[in-house]
Amino acid sequence: MPREAEPSINERAFVLQALEENIRLDGRALDAFRDIDISFGDDYGVADVQLGKTRVLTRISASIAAPYPDRKFDGVFTIATELSPLASPAFEVGRQSDLETHLSRILETTLRRSQAISTESLCLVAGQKVWSLRADIHILSHCGNLVTAASLATLAALRQYRIPDTSIKGGELTVYTPLERDPVPLALLHHPLCITLNYFENGEKMIVDATLQEQQCSEGEVVVAANPQGEVCLVQKGGGGEVDALVLLRAVDVAVGKVRELGKVVDRALEKDSKMRDKGGISAELSAENER
Amino acid sequence: MPLDTSTYHLSLLRLDGRRWNELRRLHAQISTQASADGSSYLEMGNTKIICTVSGPAEIRGGGRREGVERDNAVVNVEVGVAGFSGMDRKRRRGDKRTTEMQNTIASAFTSTLFTHLYPHSTISINLHILSQDGSLLAVCLNAATLALIDAGVPMKDYIVACTSGLTPPASTLGGSRGGNSETSDPLLDLNGMEEQELPFLTGAGGTVGGDVGGGGGWV
Repeated sequence: MPREAEPSINERAFVLQALEENIRLDGRALDAFRDIDISFGDDYGVADVQLGKTRVLTRISASIAAPYPDRKFDGVFTIATELSPLASPAFEVGRQSDLETHLSRILETTLRRSQAISTESLCLVAGQKVWSLRADIHILSHCGNLVTAASLATLAALRQYRIPDTSIKGGELTVYTPLERDPVPLALLHHPLCITLNYFENGEKMIVDATLQEQQCSEGEVVVAANPQGEVCLVQKGGGGEVDALVLLRAVDVAVGKVRELGKVVDRALEKDSKMRDKGGISAELSAENER
Repeated sequence: MPLDTSTYHLSLLRLDGRRWNELRRLHAQISTQASADGSSYLEMGNTKIICTVSGPAEIRGGGRREGVERDNAVVNVEVGVAGFSGMDRKRRRGDKRTTEMQNTIASAFTSTLFTHLYPHSTISINLHILSQDGSLLAVCLNAATLALIDAGVPMKDYIVACTSGLTPPASTLGGSRGGNSETSDPLLDLNGMEEQELPFLTGAGGTVGGDVGGGGGWV
């Protein structure tokens, strides 16, 4: 079982001493994010997020499947995370690592249990046919704060995805190709994002968007998922050094502010993408005018 | 506690007749399994768990966990869900939820036990869920603490856990309730039914210090 190279004692002491003086090695403020770049693929539902050197790609796909017998009116929404050796030598193929479970469970709680994506809207014919929506999350490069990067990528991909339009006439289901009818956006009820806060000095000092090195030097982390309206979906702090309960409240407060900030970044990226895709709609297509 | 409903508005009672801050019946036993180094049996309402602890013992399986730090004891947690524990017989082994619970419990105890006293060894905690009715993570942590105390593993603090939930604001429920507020009310120690409907958080902490671990919640 390979594992991540740990920072040496000197490196650790250096990082910690710098933090004591409120300095981070890359010159950021304690509550500043690295540069965020969200780009979309040619197809709908592919989002590529770069958070500094961390890079995560999410692809959304949909197929028609039978619902679970005990949930006849609910569509299926699955999240699959893949940590390939491409991202870090510590990741192995074909083995469920703790990090992978952690990541997919957090995203699942954030998106599904908070009903950001309403599975009921994915139902086509009750008890027979539902959309099976799948989010494949590929970690392309691991340089800390995977949770935020993955949640950004997944939310951006879900918001940009267009699912084929369908209609039911006389009990018969028709799925339209993009040429027949424009695909429709998914019904997202709210837009939650996850923020990871790493703490030092018994929770006295908290930083957002830790790099891998800072993450390894920290005493522990708190993951908070919330939506830009300020509603908290998840608070998780499993293990790590113990902190006062009030520290968690402060963490939630910081995280909500950051979620608002990131929400705007996603909004802007989506707006830019939709402008690029919008070629003037059907009137532009029917027009005889051309560039020649 | 006898429930005197004459002074307490009935609509403020929960489905099982508890008030907002009442826990379910706690029944705990220690040293229930003679063959284990430490064991406990914990009932919290209808959630029933047997926990056995073995170790600190030599790492099993030779080089299987090679590369894992050797200066500290490794805490291994295994959660087994009995087929008869819930309403439907589901195979839960290898389930992500169970795996996550195992990881959470392991990391919570890694930071509380004095693992540095036992280099090159493992402490394995086996939890058997006999009956589930909400607050699983909390009951697992409590049972594991009891069993670890029974096994005599040194620790800096006891980890105790409980869930808390929030009722939806009265305004969203329609009809009038006894409650007067627009805001949501807190509830302590959710049972299975409440857990399915309400947002909740599992809090775990030491009896001396601050918080150790938190759980998940949702809107």
